[in-house]
Amino acid sequence: MRGGFYPRIVLTGMKKNRRLYLPYLFTCIGMIMMYYIILFLAKNPIIASIRGGDSVQQMLSLGSYVMTFFAVIFLFYTHSFLIRRRKKEFGLYNILGMGKRNIGMVMFWETVFVALGAVGIGLFFGIVCSKLGELILVNVLKGDVKYSFLIDFAAMKQTMFLFGMIFLLIFINTMWQVGRTNAIALLHSENVGEKPPKANWFLGLIGIALLGGAYYLAVTIENPLDAMMWFFVAVIMVIIATYLIFIAGSVLICKLLQKNKKYYYQKKHFVSVSSMAYRMKRNGAGLASICILATMVLVMLAGSACLYMGSEDSLQTRYPQGIVTTVRQYDLGKMNDEEADKRRQTVNEIVAVHGGALIQPIEYRYATITGVINGDELEVDYRMYESSATVFKNLYQIYFVPLTDYNKMTGGQETLADGEAMMYTYRCKYEDDILNVHNGGSFRIIKKIPEFRINSNMAMDILPSIVIVVPDFEYSLQKIAALKTENGEQMLIPYWYYGFDLNADVDEQVEITQEIYAALKAGIDADAICYCESREANRYDFYATYGGIFFLGILLSIVFLFATVLIMYYKQISEGYEDQARFAIMQKVGMTKENIRKSINSQMLTVFFMPLVMAVVHLAFAFPMIRKLLMLFNLMNVRLLVLTTLVIVLIFAVFYAVVYKITSNAYISIVSDAKNEKM
Amino acid sequence: MSILEVEGIKKIYTTRFGSNQVEALKNVTFKVEQGEYVAIMGESGSGKTTLLNILAALDKPTAGSVKLDARDLSRIRESEMAAFRRDNLGFVFQNFNLLDTFSIEDNIYLPLVLAGMKYREMQERLTKVAGRLGIADLLKKYPYEVSGGQKQRVAVARALITEPKLILADEPTGALDSKATDELLGLFREINESGQTILMVTHSVKAASHAGRVLFIKDGEVFHQIYRGNLTNEQLYQKITDTLTILTTGGERG
Repeated sequence: MRGGFYPRIVLTGMKKNRRLYLPYLFTCIGMIMMYYIILFLAKNPIIASIRGGDSVQQMLSLGSYVMTFFAVIFLFYTHSFLIRRRKKEFGLYNILGMGKRNIGMVMFWETVFVALGAVGIGLFFGIVCSKLGELILVNVLKGDVKYSFLIDFAAMKQTMFLFGMIFLLIFINTMWQVGRTNAIALLHSENVGEKPPKANWFLGLIGIALLGGAYYLAVTIENPLDAMMWFFVAVIMVIIATYLIFIAGSVLICKLLQKNKKYYYQKKHFVSVSSMAYRMKRNGAGLASICILATMVLVMLAGSACLYMGSEDSLQTRYPQGIVTTVRQYDLGKMNDEEADKRRQTVNEIVAVHGGALIQPIEYRYATITGVINGDELEVDYRMYESSATVFKNLYQIYFVPLTDYNKMTGGQETLADGEAMMYTYRCKYEDDILNVHNGGSFRIIKKIPEFRINSNMAMDILPSIVIVVPDFEYSLQKIAALKTENGEQMLIPYWYYGFDLNADVDEQVEITQEIYAALKAGIDADAICYCESREANRYDFYATYGGIFFLGILLSIVFLFATVLIMYYKQISEGYEDQARFAIMQKVGMTKENIRKSINSQMLTVFFMPLVMAVVHLAFAFPMIRKLLMLFNLMNVRLLVLTTLVIVLIFAVFYAVVYKITSNAYISIVSDAKNEKM
Repeated sequence: MSILEVEGIKKIYTTRFGSNQVEALKNVTFKVEQGEYVAIMGESGSGKTTLLNILAALDKPTAGSVKLDARDLSRIRESEMAAFRRDNLGFVFQNFNLLDTFSIEDNIYLPLVLAGMKYREMQERLTKVAGRLGIADLLKKYPYEVSGGQKQRVAVARALITEPKLILADEPTGALDSKATDELLGLFREINESGQTILMVTHSVKAASHAGRVLFIKDGEVFHQIYRGNLTNEQLYQKITDTLTILTTGGERG
């Protein structure tokens, strides 16, 4: 055979099957493009030069691994559709005298064409769009836009290598598949008859029970830390439940519909219900995958979008005051008023030099300790904690504040006798009116404080906080201060806290922060440590981290969306080919084209929108959990979360509808090809 | 009264680029009377499938007319065609054309459901037809669970349930073994005796020998026809064989 023979036969084959090949090519191109863009941005010097850019780039590198993993699975999946469709053609070639070697050559050329085309076009668009990605990312990071255009050859090489390997693997897999089967089997591989599925009550019920359990978990969890732990359990439960419900539950529903004779024997329902019942076993898995992918996209987008939109909120929450100064000193005796006055004056002088005015300053000392609360008992020695699972749930951060500081801060005249205390709880509840610290004395809670100006430690801590106002430091905390870890370190850590807002511009605030830090550091004892942080200095990092998460969320969502769309498309297309013969028969028996169109529409609507509806329900139930998780990122704005989620669901639904339209058109055109077949 | 009148039908296929014209049917004229059982015989390529497609209104003749129950098929609008076919014609195919997604029962119901009939009425008709064809205990099964002969009986039931004016059968015994073939032919005879008009296209001599009249088609024309008269099946079989011999060895029109 002459040299040009194989390429020609491959090209005609692909052209004839373009309905199958084009989406596959688009997927390859899309994957390659995305992969290149991610690599490009992960190594981009412009991004690296922006504040916070390096953390985004770390995330992007991580994203590139996710992409790799996904690209392999996904391209294999789509390609298996193609092979299933083309086996008949191979069978024919085989009968016409082409050996498996020749078919191998055909497949080889085909892979070469697809690989060259996809890598070429994919890289081209990748390079074109990488600049756009860079602009968006720079914007997200609130950096300055610099105009330059560059191609990252290393990223290009890596992309080519990865996808070259994937195409090679696909080729090997195809060869293996073709090698395993004989000509007759190849010819008939498409018409393997299937029993109509039996409704499996048992699996269906398990599915419903699992889903109910997962939903219950999601709704009832109170504690953000629990949410983090249980989130993955709930996710796995939901995934299993979704598969069970779609596989067994859908058959069940169809069977029930078929039992209802009045409903079933109607023009509108007859054909669609029966063919759905027939297909659901196989379909169920596909629909469940679509549903789960859709849920993933929705959760990921909603979560990351909220994080980004709520960056400012989180920043404000994380830094309750614009500038935050703390000094840590273990010796309670040195936490006296004179030391505090000296430190305050140091800070105030620096601010005064800069001509700034303190806005709403707060100052108090606190001594903090971590412990597990069981009933009214606080255990602070971690060697005494029981099993780890329950510990996490009952772990609290306790802040002891002396009464004098509290009164000074609030301007109140509260008094406390020995052993008495007032309590403020942050992100938790405490019901008892006494708190016994194991080996550390008891505190009788005589009053609950409704409001308290929290410090930045409480704000950033993932543990819920309890503030206990005690009559004084030295006497009341004597016993607790005596508790030591196994290394002989004091468990109770006292701090002096001074926070305030400042009406100065960003650079000046950053400068003041640095000066305060230097001055305090010079003035404290060797065993003490001081911190000074400003909201402004951290703003960039916040935007960078959350913006980076959002950006990556969008990129991965696009990839998942690709997957969802393609699974749906191929599902419908392969069903279309199966249905061709069926609809031809129906037309002979007297079904009009109008009937066919209506029946297809009702079928497609159900098949398409069932996963979407289910995904939205999943999202609705995941919502409380997402909210709790976002709390860990200091994001408390529920309204923002609700709005963002709604907008994302809306956008997703519109996109979904467009894909539905395209797919259903392709399906109808395949099925109505049947009309040209005569008896 | 003639239920089917075929008048001077001609069918010319043009190849895609219009360079080549193939004349599938030259000039076909015949009539089928109410209650008749007619077999049309001819070799592959003689034009019998084209003829059947035209009779079934799946294809339009280039010239000539087909009248079913005095109604000209070419006058029926495309939008009414499906309904017309459903109400007036019953089809039995070589490969059964049962839908594997439906149970036997639902396969038979299909044309009635499409016609929008009430379930109760459908059920009455099914009971009658199923009893007559001996498939009453198969109704809940699926096509893949029953034999070829049973499938073809189901297909006949589906054709009969609309109470059509004419049953068109395209090689109905083509995919059946000899026992199933005998059963089906017996069934066709019974149906015909109860007054149902049947038109069957076949090249099985045995199938044709059960008919009341046999038309032979060669090169797109009705070449010859034989009436059963008082002949037995065996005698008719002999006559058909003789005719076919003349037909294939190129004898003059008899």
